Amino acid sequence: MPEGQFCNKTPITTDEQLKATLNDKGGKQYYEEMNHLDVDSEKLWGAIQKTMKSRIKTWLEICAHCGLCAESCFLYQVNGRVPEQVPSYKIQATLGQIVKKKGKVDNEFMQMCMETAWSKCTCCNRCGMYCPHGIDMGIMFGYLRGLLYSQGFVPWELKIGSGMHRVYRAQMDVTMEDWVETCEWMAEETEEEWPGLEIPVDKVGADIMYTCNAREPKHYPEDIAEAAILFHVAGENWTVPSEGWEQTSLSMFAGDWECCKDNVQNVYDAIERLKPKRATGTECGHAHRATVIEGPYWTGRPDGQPPVPFLHYVEWLAEALRTGKLKIDPSKRIKEPVTLQDSCNYVRNQGLKDITREIISYIVEPGYFVEMAPTKEHNYCCGGGGGFNGIGKYREQRNMALRKKMDQILDTGCKLVIAPCHNCWDAIRDLEEEYEIGIRWSFLKPLVIKMLDVPEHLLPKDE
Amino acid sequence: MFKKILLATSGAPSTFGAARVAFDMAKRYGAEVLVFNVMGVPTKAFSQEVNDVRTGEKIEIDDEYQSWVEEELKSTFEKQIESVEFSKIITTTGVPHREILRAARAEDVDLIVMGASSGDSSAYRKGYPGSTLQKVAKAARCPVMTVHRETASYWGGFSNIVFATDFSKQAENAFKFALASAKELNADLTVLHALDISGKLLDQNAIEDKLIETRSRIRSSYDFGDFKNYDVEVWEGVPYVEIVKMARERSADLIVMAHHSHELDPEKARIGSTMEQVILRAGCPVVSVSKPDKV
Repeated sequence: MPEGQFCNKTPITTDEQLKATLNDKGGKQYYEEMNHLDVDSEKLWGAIQKTMKSRIKTWLEICAHCGLCAESCFLYQVNGRVPEQVPSYKIQATLGQIVKKKGKVDNEFMQMCMETAWSKCTCCNRCGMYCPHGIDMGIMFGYLRGLLYSQGFVPWELKIGSGMHRVYRAQMDVTMEDWVETCEWMAEETEEEWPGLEIPVDKVGADIMYTCNAREPKHYPEDIAEAAILFHVAGENWTVPSEGWEQTSLSMFAGDWECCKDNVQNVYDAIERLKPKRATGTECGHAHRATVIEGPYWTGRPDGQPPVPFLHYVEWLAEALRTGKLKIDPSKRIKEPVTLQDSCNYVRNQGLKDITREIISYIVEPGYFVEMAPTKEHNYCCGGGGGFNGIGKYREQRNMALRKKMDQILDTGCKLVIAPCHNCWDAIRDLEEEYEIGIRWSFLKPLVIKMLDVPEHLLPKDE
Repeated sequence: MFKKILLATSGAPSTFGAARVAFDMAKRYGAEVLVFNVMGVPTKAFSQEVNDVRTGEKIEIDDEYQSWVEEELKSTFEKQIESVEFSKIITTTGVPHREILRAARAEDVDLIVMGASSGDSSAYRKGYPGSTLQKVAKAARCPVMTVHRETASYWGGFSNIVFATDFSKQAENAFKFALASAKELNADLTVLHALDISGKLLDQNAIEDKLIETRSRIRSSYDFGDFKNYDVEVWEGVPYVEIVKMARERSADLIVMAHHSHELDPEKARIGSTMEQVILRAGCPVVSVSKPDKV
């Protein structure tokens, strides 16, 4: 059983391992070691017997190979419509074969599975909507990723990503101290323009608890400040937890199930500890899916729900605008053609399509909003979902995947794209860098702040 | 006054002027210098890849790369590093303005010295409005000094300081800094207000009245205490032009201004930003002061 120093079946659990793996530039040694990694067929088959439930078994069995899922897949569309990109083929040729062979597959096959699972599927679940049987290949690929991860066949960045979650309980090396310090810093930096603004940490019994994405404290703390400004102006009684503040789940992308559960449990523990009436998170798609949609099942919650109602940020924002907690100055609304990216993870997966359009109705001058085609739950993945954005090994495939979103945006004729999801935001940023189509993109928070009609008593006194 | 100076540098020649000022000041006033460099800007979501700040190239940061950058900086500023009491090099990755602010806060520095604008590097400007300088100047707790080019780096101490006021709250902090600097450095201080009359139809008498009124406003707004080497001037014209003209006339080696633009959107603020215009045109370092913490 040759296990590599970096590429092996053992998750990263210490900071030393993390640093060492990070220093293997681009995963050079990691991928070399992967060529010699043995497949533990017994363990693989054992895992399948234990975890593969009737739904996936049925799906594998009843697929009629009708091909109706083909056109539903944006990766099929942008990659020359080759049969190898048909969702049903992709899953039958990987998971289907592993099951058929009872786990007796070799290294080369597992590497092909890895490439398929991480560069030919973003788990966007669009195919599931078009299959006459409702077979959701996105879910099956999520399952396959778990099997691959347990055998050590996982892209380098995601091995690190889930390692980060295990060591820091965050997708980046942000400690609890770093986080709390960042909150203090942002409150300090923002209070001059917003007198009385606070970022309350660990306040028990608040109306709403806020969680975010570790990349915000790490690189873009302005986002935390913006969230604070909107809570402040809305007069919201809110808090952030000192522990359990990180909502994202690279472990979900990686297929590190054990870590997924731990992450989500950590957020739920914060809820149990601080007893907020409700919770919400930042403008992120997969984080919401992990915490609100999948999380309750990972942690075995009997009602399939988080401990308290957990809103996506767009739900909170729409409510604040609807109830007048936040008022928009009509003269400051967006007056240029603008389009909206529907994030698969909370639009297709949770049906929040109308909520985002309600927000649009408040912040965009009538007549300027242009829908992408297709739209809402039929919208295509941004091209960077499911971890695709961050994997260097599959950068070219990812850049190709961006072309669908590029065409959709070009067809709208808009130069401004609202993308209330970190992964979509990143993909659209990369899309502009790669193809230079001359667009701008934004989260909702900065846009809304710019057009707020702020009550007199919240403005600085002296100017 | 200056015990800890943070020199934010890409290591490129365009920042040598700033480096010279930072090290000269440190030598003169016995301060320590932190040479601070943001190696790369994060990109591609959670990946380890960053865009090199200087070249825009994609690089993977590891310990080896970081050591190499440190060595580069060490050899670039070798003589200067040796000439001061104490200095250290800090390298990191991130969005430049944010990391400069983070380091300034963590190290509790008294002054940030920055080089010229690195231009419109798409690596990190896209999606984040406002220049690095504007964002640092807006949020820093300490004064921020910008040295736009070699020729603006001074050859001796500071002997002539021009303080330009717009009577804002931030200008009170900037005045305190200018006055304290003038006292400390035994320099002459000129307090200037540029009366912006563009777009207004005023006859000469009305202008004269305004000038007199503004002069007395300066005298009543600012307390010079026992400091005597100061002048009060009010000139009419476009503010940045008048400030640069005054600096030339007085052979100023330091211009002090307040920063309080809430507008970070480059399209809206950069053209109208008096401070950026002055920095681009002045032949000496420009200090922007926003907060009262370190003045």
